[in-house]
Amino acid sequence: MTGEIACARRGIAAVPNMRSPNAGRVLAIAAASVAALVAAVLPFFAATYAVTLATEIMISGVFASGINLLLGTTGLVSLGQAMFLGLGGYGIGIGSSLLGFPLWLSIPATLIAVGVVSAIVGLICTRTRGVEFLLITLAFSQMLYGAAIKLRITGGSDGMSGIPRPDLSAVGLSSDDPATFYYYVLVATAISLLGLWRIVNSPFGSVLAGIRENERRIVAMGYAVDFYKVGAFTLGAVVCAAAGILQAQYTYFINPDSMSWQLSGEGVLMVIIGGASSVLGPLVGAAIFVLVKQGLSILTGDYLMFFGLFFMLVVALFRGGVFGAIRILLGARI
Amino acid sequence: MNALEIRSLRKAFGGLEAISNLDLTVPYGQRHALIGPNGAGKTTLFNLVTGWLTPTGGDIRIAGHPVASGRPDHIARTGLTRSFQKNMLLESLSVLENLRIACQATHRARRSLFRSKHAFGGVIAQAVSVAERMNLVDCLGREVRELSYGQKRQLEVAIALCARPRILLMDEPAAGTSPSERARLVALINALPRELTILLVEHDMDVVFATCERITVLNYGKVLATGTREDIQTNPAVIDAYLGRRHA
Amino acid sequence: MQLLLFQLLNGLQLSMLVFLLAAGLTLIFGLMNILNLAHGAFFTLGAYSGLLASAATGSFWPALIVGPMLPFVLGALLQYFVLQPLVDRGRSTHLDLALMTFGLLFATAGAVELLYGSAFYSIAIPSALSGQVSLLGLSYPAYRLFIVAAGFAVAGSLKVVVDRTLIGATLRAGVDNREMVTALGINVNLLFAIVFGVGAALAGFAGVIAAPVMSVYSQMGIGIVVTTFVVVVVGGLGNLKGSFYASLIVGMTDTLSQAYLPDAEMFAVYALLIVVMIIRPQGLFGTVSRVA
Repeated sequence: MTGEIACARRGIAAVPNMRSPNAGRVLAIAAASVAALVAAVLPFFAATYAVTLATEIMISGVFASGINLLLGTTGLVSLGQAMFLGLGGYGIGIGSSLLGFPLWLSIPATLIAVGVVSAIVGLICTRTRGVEFLLITLAFSQMLYGAAIKLRITGGSDGMSGIPRPDLSAVGLSSDDPATFYYYVLVATAISLLGLWRIVNSPFGSVLAGIRENERRIVAMGYAVDFYKVGAFTLGAVVCAAAGILQAQYTYFINPDSMSWQLSGEGVLMVIIGGASSVLGPLVGAAIFVLVKQGLSILTGDYLMFFGLFFMLVVALFRGGVFGAIRILLGARI
Repeated sequence: MNALEIRSLRKAFGGLEAISNLDLTVPYGQRHALIGPNGAGKTTLFNLVTGWLTPTGGDIRIAGHPVASGRPDHIARTGLTRSFQKNMLLESLSVLENLRIACQATHRARRSLFRSKHAFGGVIAQAVSVAERMNLVDCLGREVRELSYGQKRQLEVAIALCARPRILLMDEPAAGTSPSERARLVALINALPRELTILLVEHDMDVVFATCERITVLNYGKVLATGTREDIQTNPAVIDAYLGRRHA
Repeated sequence: MQLLLFQLLNGLQLSMLVFLLAAGLTLIFGLMNILNLAHGAFFTLGAYSGLLASAATGSFWPALIVGPMLPFVLGALLQYFVLQPLVDRGRSTHLDLALMTFGLLFATAGAVELLYGSAFYSIAIPSALSGQVSLLGLSYPAYRLFIVAAGFAVAGSLKVVVDRTLIGATLRAGVDNREMVTALGINVNLLFAIVFGVGAALAGFAGVIAAPVMSVYSQMGIGIVVTTFVVVVVGGLGNLKGSFYASLIVGMTDTLSQAYLPDAEMFAVYALLIVVMIIRPQGLFGTVSRVA
């Protein structure tokens, strides 16, 4: 609020667009609130199929949000983010399945480990930009994919099973129950999105947006951009790893396919559909994507080809994605 | 100690000598113009001084310290900022946000991850005061994309002022602006604090003569002449190479 | 010693195959700023076309001509009707287009699986090249030398065409200043479409000549295209000379490391990429992009 006070002291009328409400914004907040309410009570009135679908949507949404921090906020297009999704899953696979550590140890340990690895990978990759960055992230992800296939301890291409879900017996619940697991994922999703929202609206986040708009100018202003780019890379990777952990717990299973370029592509598509420049966009994109994928797989077994065509259509037609289109229509500023 | 001291500067791009044996001294508080035909090396000189290019030879000192080439962000933080010939703005953000980010660059909060950017009132206040000085208060809430070209040029200069520089480099700030915008620009420049050292590249001689007490003429990467307005206007080599007969 | 020579020749052969792919990719990117992530699809397509041609005629040589044709046509059509219109409509950032080709990658991977399933096929080596050649005291398959020769021939022709002919100059001018070239009465769209087609045809050609030594299967484009991407980044994007030397370096590294450290697979190549990115991010022959 201090910004408004500063303006008021100078006798300047409240600066427009600085947290002042308008119709579009109110509508968007209302829609989001309704959605949140529905999400909160879904298991009570929906069939199990809907609950598990919603769980998948949320996990995909977290993955897409992690990608979006790099893509939408900072403008760095990486086609290798699935490597961190996979690392998250393998992390708790190794920590809990293989080494037998309890989840409250292996989850933070995995996230920290991914943070360190992604910082190193990020330091190398951010030396490039644009198309080279795209290629080198793809190469890194292929490298990790190859490693995952080769490593015997983690089951090679068969992967690892028996990934544990959280033990909630202390409160009399079993996370094997789809509704209980749904709430676990809901809480995790809410925390991730809240964290991302704080980051995007922080000074750090504003610099990321600046880098997306005009990196050279940000440098000329005096910012050490490498710090911000590597930071974005790392934070995005950790969020993707969180999604990977949830995914592995959801299926009780992890294998190298979780690191494939196909999955990276799906994540990027979700971001593009949902609109790259907002915090909720990726979740919307994930919802649309998962639903379309479900629909396609019912209609035909040739998912890959239609997915590719769909991807191309979206890239060609969607400027700013669905969310971007809605924002333009309503003039909202989320 | 001078604000800017350049000695025997050389910059070669392969076989092309863009800058040869250039000497330039700008004392603190001086308003110094750099003029010359296109391709004379003016923007190259700016790029060298601000660290975007590495010299092939010679010496650049800002406030007595040698320039850390390859680190433009360092140079900006030490108090030398620059506005660009082509607008380099954050297009889809608002004018206020452009200025706020620029002011944030020298603020200790700039790496803060979890506090809202709106919580740093000092940064915002600083941005607003720069906007006041540059006559941009009325468009603070608008996106840069929506501004007129003249307003964008003003913003371009305003951003360079946000870091509270001691030395300001301006690359053709009047380029493409209308006569009234140009007059406003001249007033703005002359209203800037006297302690601010300014090095100005311009083609519009009216702007140059209205704002700068000292002028250096560049041609083919070399200094042709340096001196006051009178010195330049009467220098035959300068007239031949650049001014033509009208300004003489 | 003989073993080393054998491996070096194998490395050379792989280098030339990869170069054919990298050349196409580089040609397309260097001249039109489009990164074709689906480039491997043209490789696969060329191999399958060649397969059909040689099965129909019972001979290898028609495959060499037929193989690149479908990729050429599809590539030209893609550029003319899909990619160029996007550029003209302003959706022109390299990234948008790269993502578009990424979608194409999915689509073609799916299409190939749909049409051919996961069976493995093969094209027979032509009898003229099926023997062994005696080289420096070593007996080396003639066909593999043919691959090496083909690669060098293409490299030489490309250099001549791009550097010294009017077409090459027009291409380079067209990328620098479209309007000017169009104003000179040259149909730039057609030119770009043809160049894209040529790049795709090179990949298709590589697919055909690789077929007798690799198997023909739906995923064949994927492995070699990742190596191609590494080559293109290491050499410097858009730099034909860089692609050539990088192909040699990467091809040799890959072959030798696989020969002496079989478990390492692609890791030597990735390690090379990482080292180059740390020391010289713009690639070994790339130039640092222009400043303010």
